[in-house]
Amino acid sequence: MSRVLRSELLKLRTTRTALGFAIAGVLLVLLVVLVTTLAGNPTTISDKRDVLSIGDPLSVVLLLFGVVGATAEYRHRTVAAGALIVPSRLRLSIGRMVAYGLAGLAVGALMLIVAFAIGIPLLSGESGPSLVASDYERAIGGSLLACGLGAMLGVAIGVLVANQVAAVVGTLVIFFVADPLIVAASATVGKFSFGDALTAAGGRGTMHELAFGPAVAVIIAWTLVALTLAGWVDSRRDIA
Amino acid sequence: MVGDTSGSAIRVAGLSKRYGGVAAVDNLSFEVRAGAVTGFLGPNGAGKTTTLRILLGLARPTAGQATIFGQPFTALADPARTVGAALEISGFHPGRSGRNHLRSLAVLAGLPSSRVEEVLKLVELTGAADRRAGKYSMGMRQRLALAATLLGDPKLLVLDEPANGLDPQGIRWLRDFLRALAAEGRTVLISSHVLSEVAQTVDDVVVIHHGRLVDEGPVERLSGPKTVRVRSPRLPDLAAAIERAGAQVSRDSDALLVSGLDAAQVGELAFAAGLQLHELAQHSASLEEVFLELTSDEPKAEDQGAPA
Repeated sequence: MSRVLRSELLKLRTTRTALGFAIAGVLLVLLVVLVTTLAGNPTTISDKRDVLSIGDPLSVVLLLFGVVGATAEYRHRTVAAGALIVPSRLRLSIGRMVAYGLAGLAVGALMLIVAFAIGIPLLSGESGPSLVASDYERAIGGSLLACGLGAMLGVAIGVLVANQVAAVVGTLVIFFVADPLIVAASATVGKFSFGDALTAAGGRGTMHELAFGPAVAVIIAWTLVALTLAGWVDSRRDIA
Repeated sequence: MVGDTSGSAIRVAGLSKRYGGVAAVDNLSFEVRAGAVTGFLGPNGAGKTTTLRILLGLARPTAGQATIFGQPFTALADPARTVGAALEISGFHPGRSGRNHLRSLAVLAGLPSSRVEEVLKLVELTGAADRRAGKYSMGMRQRLALAATLLGDPKLLVLDEPANGLDPQGIRWLRDFLRALAAEGRTVLISSHVLSEVAQTVDDVVVIHHGRLVDEGPVERLSGPKTVRVRSPRLPDLAAAIERAGAQVSRDSDALLVSGLDAAQVGELAFAAGLQLHELAQHSASLEEVFLELTSDEPKAEDQGAPA
């Protein structure tokens, strides 16, 4: 497994895909922090938590990062090159998931640095109660977990669907259309969707969402379900 | 580097692959001798690539099996050091450099990075190794694919249409390269739909058409029977003289095609009969002609019961 992981990490470092998503992440974090601070007038503790809870918006970027990375293997037909060295496609997929999870953590950490570097000075000028250590811990833990797990889930979805356009469009539709519809129809069911779970784990706690621990458990469950399905489908798929 | 070269390196038995109602490979059986260079030939769509994908564990057969050194590919203990395969030239990320593409494969196979430099040198790609693979010419992509196959210094090479898109210089380079690999005693299976690209390199051929085996064996077997083409101002007299000698004669425009005698014998017959010759040439059907006949969709005369 270490060979697969090292190879996947090397592949991640040697294209511009990861860099592109990292830049997109930085821009998104800048936008979120600046908008929520300057336009949102955060005076309550909840508002201030929202400013630093970048795991919510960023997890979608990392989810797409995983989807694009996994489907690129099929798009550029590099999946066969790997399978000719390691015939177990499940092993390759797991290695890729772990590599993207680590990349997600790294990108998440970078984004946290950006968010904290901008957000904390801006929040210090706002009125109302100040954030305490547990708020920062929750923001850090939630953001990192949401980013890492989001990227891993993205890889599983990518392996499952294989077609890059279909996987990206499908993920966006599920995240931005299907999930809100499910939540609107039934908040009890909707909070177990991976979109809501990512939001909950990302640090923005709201009334109807899962608590942090259960949200992480739900994301892990979704990732395992997607990986199992992906492994089953991929082992039966003829590689073009 | 090269292991046991006795017996079969590849054995395909009763292999079939259907896509819906279409049979891409139809009960195909053949063997590839260890230590030989074998041409896997057939027109486009004959089922060559599908067969190779099944052989390499990338596609599942509908029936039958394909083994490498007695084992399915997926059961090989160390695939990278056993088989090097290049199935298509687009098997790399266009944004990644050739060197990094090979490095990622070397890491996956547990090979040292020095091996990457060795294979880059072997395929004469060192100078362009840091350029993005998407910017490579067709010939450079083929070389990169070949470099990847050689990373593990494997006993068996499986190359799918490696000459596709190459210019004459590229084909010449590839031919010399394959000859060098064969001289090292490696087993090479090389597919092509153009026999002339591989005819000078291969020892054996396996010819398939519509997913079925058409012919297999030493490449010499594909050479047609030798004939002599002869022209004379007195063709009927020459034909009669040749037939009296027990050879067979057929008319080809203003010449005769003689089978059963060589050019010297035909010349001696003409001299003895006092017949002037305007042309005397040994002729044999080219490998290409035989290959085209084997893979033609036109029904053969004998198949229709017509006189030969």
